[in-house]
Amino acid sequence: MQTFLTALFTGTSHGAIYALVALGLVLVWRGAGLINFAQMGQAMFSAYIASTIINHHINYWWAFIVAIIAGGALGGAIDVLVIRPLKKKSGSSILSSPSMRDAIPVIASLGILGILQSAAGMIWAGEERGFPAPVSTLGLSIGKRAMPFTRFDIFVIVLIWLILIATTLLLNKTSVGLAMRASALNMEVARLSGIRTRSIRTLGWILSGSLASVAGLMVAPATNVSPNSLDLLMIIGFTACVIGGLNSLWGSVTGAFILGLTISFINIYDAPGDVFLGIFAILIAVMIFRPSGLFAKGKARNV
Amino acid sequence: MLKIENLTVNFDANSALDNVSFSAEVGKITTVIGANGAGKSTLLRTISGLKAPKSGSITWRDSELVGMRPEAIVRAGVALVPEGHAVIPELTIDENIRMGALFRLRKAKSDVTTAIAEMYELFPQLADRRKAPSSTLSGGERQMLAIARALVSRPEILLLDEPSLGLAPLIVKQIIGIIEELCRKSGLTVLLVEQNANTALDVADHGVLLALGKVVADRPAKDLRADVSLREAYLGY
Ligand SMILES: Nc1ncnc2c1ncn2[C@@H]1O[C@H](COP(=O)(O)OP(=O)(O)O)[C@@H](O)[C@H]1O
Ligand SMILES: [Mg+2]
Repeated sequence: MQTFLTALFTGTSHGAIYALVALGLVLVWRGAGLINFAQMGQAMFSAYIASTIINHHINYWWAFIVAIIAGGALGGAIDVLVIRPLKKKSGSSILSSPSMRDAIPVIASLGILGILQSAAGMIWAGEERGFPAPVSTLGLSIGKRAMPFTRFDIFVIVLIWLILIATTLLLNKTSVGLAMRASALNMEVARLSGIRTRSIRTLGWILSGSLASVAGLMVAPATNVSPNSLDLLMIIGFTACVIGGLNSLWGSVTGAFILGLTISFINIYDAPGDVFLGIFAILIAVMIFRPSGLFAKGKARNV
Repeated sequence: MLKIENLTVNFDANSALDNVSFSAEVGKITTVIGANGAGKSTLLRTISGLKAPKSGSITWRDSELVGMRPEAIVRAGVALVPEGHAVIPELTIDENIRMGALFRLRKAKSDVTTAIAEMYELFPQLADRRKAPSSTLSGGERQMLAIARALVSRPEILLLDEPSLGLAPLIVKQIIGIIEELCRKSGLTVLLVEQNANTALDVADHGVLLALGKVVADRPAKDLRADVSLREAYLGY
């Protein structure tokens, strides 16, 4: 029983982190129509910044806030400096064919990932750094009873649920959220309604970058910080989106929790070596039986 | 006055509009009629900034619209109801209407509330189902919603692209009636594009006949309505 509960709590807490990554990917996908492969590069970069601040004996929470701002700023900068100019270029005929026009920003995001990783390698000498958690990551006991979770598990689950709820409220209950949804669903009608879709898209990038940074800080105590430390998180977050359907925000979040639990149970009951096999099996099953995601309704993206 | 001068619009090598010039007077209904493919939609989409012209100028109250972004053109008081009931079906009726007023929230919040209430008075069919997804609406109701979405921006000039397309005659009458009333009572300037020439010429003050991207007639609506030979030549009825 204790083992089962441990697997459950660990899976939920990891699933919550994957959910943030997935949410960040969905926000950019719905707003800009591309998978941002640089996302966890941005998060890695801001984790290094946070780690530098913490190494100067400044409070964890300052580092936390700076990392969120840095992640958002990086996201916004990528949109304004790279993605926007790419959209304008439509000169040569091969590059302006519709499939290339969709592919180029994705390739650019891979390029940005490479640049961020090399830059981190140069600035911080590629050193692998430990990273603290804001609360204890050791097993928690109440009285004499050992609990199947740590303080940090609870912290992660609560923090991330608050973020998920806040994001949902932002999207569904505020004017900015309405503008974001309208721009994602039908850019032309949104523009004809006076919505500045370009700025709204940038806002999506900023939000996505901030969410990814939080995710990065939450796994950093386990993975440490290095230029490639978040690559796995990116792969799992992307898989969660594919499982849940990139168009469905809560679908992707659910996909993330499914993955978190699967990985955790395989880790504890089977062997860590089988984790990828498990993820792969789920992915293949979804691709065969529900190619647009478990929770997608109707057809693909409405552009 | 909306003034269109020497407007030429190309799709690749083909010109959809060829040196088009005419103007629409403030407070009047001007209609642009023409057969399918004449360039009517292209004209409205170019005015709204969705399509860049090859050359020519479009001025509204003496400011140049060519080169402005669509969202800026709406903010300058020029609103388009595009062809084909352009609403966002995934959003609720209320969200579709509010969407049109988002940009005014900061400067004119109380007027936005008033404007939205006015829309529900104007189109009572929409008022009962505010929270329903607009995908549940009929074609006519969607068209009303699209018009309401454009009107909450408090435009000075409303561009309508075939609002009667595919709708039952009774609904067409209601929609055209509302547009006429808005023009006569509130001084809204209207540029109405229609394939159904008679419906349009009956309410319009002025008519422009487009054929294959060129203006072939630019006259008072009454004259155009009476010119049977011209209509037969270009519209086939
Ligand atoms: N997106 C487009 N790409 C290429 N050609 C177009 C496009 N839109 C319209 N056209 C062409 O421009 C001409 C005018 O079309 P349009 O403005 O839709 O006419 P109307 O609205 O009067 O039916 C037609 O010949 C049409 O084929
Ligand atoms: Mg048309």
